Amino acid sequence: MSTTTDDARDVDVGPRGFLRFFGASARKKLLLLVRYPVNTISQFGTVLLVFFVLFFGGRAVAPTAISDSIEGIIVGYLLWSMSITAYSGLSWGVTREAQWGTLEQLFMSPFGFGPVMVVKTVVNVLESFLWGAGTLLVMMAVTGRWLAVDPFTVLPVAALAVAPAVGIGFVFGGLAIRFKRIENAFQLVQFLLVGLIAAPVADYPLLKWAPLAQGSQLLQTAMTEGVRLWEFPAGDLGVLVATAVGYLALGYAAFHYCQRWARREGVMGHY
Amino acid sequence: MSQTTDRPQRVDGDASSTRAPAAETVLAVDDLRKSYGSGEDAVTAVDGVSFEITRGEVVGVLGPNGAGKTTTIKSILGLVVPSSGSVEIAGVDADDDLRGVYQHVGAMLEGARNTYWRLTVRENLRFFAALGGNDPGAARERHDRLLEQFDLAEKADETVNGLSRGQKQKVSLAATLARGTDVVFLDEPTLGLDVEASLELRRELRRLADEEAITVVLSSHDMDVVEDVCDRVVILSDGRVIADDPVEELVGVFDTQAYRVVADGRLSDAVRARLVREYRVENVEVLADRTRFDVTLGDDDALYDVLGVLDDAGHDLLDVDGLEPDLEDVFLDVTDRAHREPESEDQRDDATEGSR
Repeated sequence: MSTTTDDARDVDVGPRGFLRFFGASARKKLLLLVRYPVNTISQFGTVLLVFFVLFFGGRAVAPTAISDSIEGIIVGYLLWSMSITAYSGLSWGVTREAQWGTLEQLFMSPFGFGPVMVVKTVVNVLESFLWGAGTLLVMMAVTGRWLAVDPFTVLPVAALAVAPAVGIGFVFGGLAIRFKRIENAFQLVQFLLVGLIAAPVADYPLLKWAPLAQGSQLLQTAMTEGVRLWEFPAGDLGVLVATAVGYLALGYAAFHYCQRWARREGVMGHY
Repeated sequence: MSQTTDRPQRVDGDASSTRAPAAETVLAVDDLRKSYGSGEDAVTAVDGVSFEITRGEVVGVLGPNGAGKTTTIKSILGLVVPSSGSVEIAGVDADDDLRGVYQHVGAMLEGARNTYWRLTVRENLRFFAALGGNDPGAARERHDRLLEQFDLAEKADETVNGLSRGQKQKVSLAATLARGTDVVFLDEPTLGLDVEASLELRRELRRLADEEAITVVLSSHDMDVVEDVCDRVVILSDGRVIADDPVEELVGVFDTQAYRVVADGRLSDAVRARLVREYRVENVEVLADRTRFDVTLGDDDALYDVLGVLDDAGHDLLDVDGLEPDLEDVFLDVTDRAHREPESEDQRDDATEGSR
């Protein structure tokens, strides 16, 4: 076995080491956000700009319709922007890592490629919550509609609602490892997410099993009607948890399959 | 053929004579095979590669384009799933425990593209240390040392994208070493470096092997680098190992058998044809009243046969010099022979076994 000639060679792949890697990943993300403020501001600005176009444009064309549905628009847009951040962090992230030449380095971590990507995803989701909070605040201030934001309800429901988007991100991240240039598909998925978030679950109950649909429905109810987490029917929460865990697990399994497929074909890291 | 005296000196002199060879096998590759596709369309990239490397050795993996170097290295690293065969690194079987293998291995496969260019040099070292399961705080001293060794201390807080290509390459290597490993794989480590930076890097690689017992496996098209740094070379051709020997031994074999001969007068076509046919004479040049040619012989006695042919034809011998070949000459000869004389499977296995 190995001869340790340096204390720095001590490898800890247990929870402590994993936590350290999580800290390093979060630090890296934060450093980049602060170091490149123009990029950071434009990223946030784009999200707000799209909302302004939607809100002011819609109000100019159909003021009554917008006024009646503004709360739904705010919650739906919040969930969409968070989902996009979480989803694209994985799909675009894999593509960029392959372009930079760092994907193989991530693969060769003693933590394993899957757990490394999970850490990156958690950091992305946290980032999406950061942007989400800012976006929500601006949207409520601009529209003058203040929604119920009980953190004990909104945070867990939003996290579970975003989880299927992360699962989809894993699927497309895996496909990106295998097929590389699939950026056009990435963009199509962004529109697919709009459809899923706006799915009429009340009219078609089966739709609640689709990714994001149940989470969107419950988040709308929580924020517009002030319903607390424990006040939701257990069945509704069960569907939310099942879809969150199910789509996340499916996405992760697809990602694992695709990376092995890419390694069999010898294209891991190629771009 | 170039003269070895023109080449930069090995940093530690003759490594094989100054260092006691480490006995511990740190990398064992056994009958590694990789094919792509199936049936008639199947392409074999790696065809039964086997070799072992001991701790603190620096081994060059050489081969012409398409020889299977990259696939072999990526198969060893698990980045390509091999069709069959086994890889064991620091006693850990890669098939059973790839994550366990990664506790001992670092690799620089993309040159300067191996790091995050928007982070500073030190931030890269910290991130890659954490990625490797090290505590970046505890590794700070090691990182400082690496920055000093690679002459990057003054650039530690600069973002990588502002550095020169050579500096980026050094950051990449430093990031690979940031977490501390037993075995380091380097693909074209000196590509794009200027002469000075290349020499510095060579010195550093030797130091890592000699002082820190880190095993280095490198592939490079720069034979000077390989000859300067490596203890041993594994030459691949068509996915197979065609030579696996210490550098000195490979070059030494040629050293005693290659000569430059100068005879007076112009050789007749018949004499020239006989020399080329029977004694592998090449580079024949007619210089005014004399003829010069190079000859590589199977044994020392054959030189007298060549001189006899000249004498019989009435040519006086003016000069005979032993040629000192470099690794490039050896590489070209070995790969050329592998293509000209495809051996049977049994012969090839015997030869490979003998050279291990």
